[in-house]
Amino acid sequence: MTLRYDAVSYTYPGTSIGVFDVSLEIGRGELLAIIGASGSGKSTLLKLLAGFVKPANGRILIDGKDVGELLPEKRKLGVVFQNYALFPHMRLWENVGYALKVRGIGKAERRALAVEMLARVGMGARADDLPGMLSGGQQQRVALARALVFEPRGLLLDEPLSALDAGLRVEMRDEILRVQRSAGIATLLVTHDQEEALSIGDKVAVMHEGRLVQIGTPRDLYETPVNAYVAAFVGQSNLWPGKVTGTGRIDTEIGALACDTKGKSNGEAVIAFVRPERVQPTSPSAVAEPGHFSGTIEADRYLGPIRRIDLAVPGGRIRLETHLRGPVTSVEIPPDAIRLLPVS
Amino acid sequence: MSVRASTPILAAFSVPGVIVLALFFIVPVCSVLVGALSDGGSAFSRLIADPVFWNGLKGTIVLGTVAPLFSLFIGFSVALTLARLAPGLRTAALIAISLPLTFSGLIVAYGFILLLGRSGFVTLLLATIGLDPAVTGAFIFSPLGLGLAYSYYLVPRVVLIVLPAITNFDRNQLVAARSLGAGGLRALIDVMLPQIMPSLVAAFCLTSAVAVGAYGTALALVGTQVNILPLVLYSKISETGTDLPAASAASLVLVAICAAVVAIGEAVGSRRTRR
Repeated sequence: MTLRYDAVSYTYPGTSIGVFDVSLEIGRGELLAIIGASGSGKSTLLKLLAGFVKPANGRILIDGKDVGELLPEKRKLGVVFQNYALFPHMRLWENVGYALKVRGIGKAERRALAVEMLARVGMGARADDLPGMLSGGQQQRVALARALVFEPRGLLLDEPLSALDAGLRVEMRDEILRVQRSAGIATLLVTHDQEEALSIGDKVAVMHEGRLVQIGTPRDLYETPVNAYVAAFVGQSNLWPGKVTGTGRIDTEIGALACDTKGKSNGEAVIAFVRPERVQPTSPSAVAEPGHFSGTIEADRYLGPIRRIDLAVPGGRIRLETHLRGPVTSVEIPPDAIRLLPVS
Repeated sequence: MSVRASTPILAAFSVPGVIVLALFFIVPVCSVLVGALSDGGSAFSRLIADPVFWNGLKGTIVLGTVAPLFSLFIGFSVALTLARLAPGLRTAALIAISLPLTFSGLIVAYGFILLLGRSGFVTLLLATIGLDPAVTGAFIFSPLGLGLAYSYYLVPRVVLIVLPAITNFDRNQLVAARSLGAGGLRALIDVMLPQIMPSLVAAFCLTSAVAVGAYGTALALVGTQVNILPLVLYSKISETGTDLPAASAASLVLVAICAAVVAIGEAVGSRRTRR
């Protein structure tokens, strides 16, 4: 089963907020993570697919069929909500078995299937408990079981981990991935947590102001962002506005940099983009060359295996990440670490 | 962290409540009980032997069930709509909806006569499309019409009781139920209704108690033509055959019905809260 948006647009009534001309596809067994700031339209995309709102333009296709007119209950998509939305008056097996109940499956069979599904998420022993007796992580597992028990055509996860504390979030992230992989189901994950998206998404889509800015593998997004917004949103980054001053050379606010300027004309405005881990601490001797800088430490954050340092240099600041424990006063930015992004 | 007050302080705080309960409930009920027993208890035998009393009791039970149920249906639907409104608009609508509670029963009856009576605005309007005013104008003076008039001040009570429960209900559960395959109505019945049932039961019991005890509207609309206990009571103190002990006995029956309905509501509500 595949899930597909074909040039979909939707605007919330009385506002200019929504999603505009979005096209993307999620293949069978694939997990697509959508990230973006609040109000970027990522949750709207999920609502459109689930049928909670209807697109103004474009088509939503499930397994090639346009489902634009289908009610949510007819779309056969499992949804896990941010607050899980478990039914507090029903026991866990009744919660999980609800989709089977509305499909007319008898109580005994329903209970057996629900308990089996609960067991798959490690909650089989709690089938007769009420949701109020569970922790956040346990509720999350039950919500996942409830969304999968009726063998849906797709799985939609709306910020499913945001209510959990940091440690549990990582554990549940792996759990979701395990269950999703074993079900082999096309999955849409909406999240504002880029680390979560990069770690479990087969593909990641970045939304900004209702538009799809970039879609690609986590590696594509991290290493070759299409613009400064994606570069800044995904991971840590150095972004310096500058101008091409010759072949293999640009001038930026922090000074001259040597880099590949193929495809850029002399005098063209660009943004130089460098990931902090690509900035290398060096000895202070080579500062006169392009790409070599000296400065003073403005901020030094200890993050366990690495330090994230902001180095104040004339004209600006360089952020670097290093495992070195000693003082850092000079750095080198290798030419192959620099990517030139367009000025928006 | 909770701070526990000492027993004497708690007792002191409960004194005003006890005084009000004693002055306005226990003393009057005792006084009525004394009145009912003033002729050696024969008032109860007279009441039991009187077919008018039994018809009145039946009418009261029917009216005390049907009018609250109708009001519950309308009030629940109104509350569902109000819960979706923006807070400011919801408050304005609530003020408008609560207005009927400030009117006396007589004014409500008079308003309904002006609207639906034999020369009422709606009756005359319906006459223009060929409906006989003698038939349509008689509706408001029938038991069903009385039920409708009662609903006028029962619906706001339902809305005020049920709205907080609906507002606090997590609507994502309905969305979740729909994504699992339930239609809109089924999701409402399976998921929302069981959770707001205590407030629905409370609303039913309160409006039922109000309908059972209502008197002014009934008297103004149907006189003593419709048999309900408040009007049986009225007839026993105002007509030529005044029978104050029997009237007191009938009052006690009314109080007992209201108390039983409210007690059932409380019992159901607290049992569901404990679960």
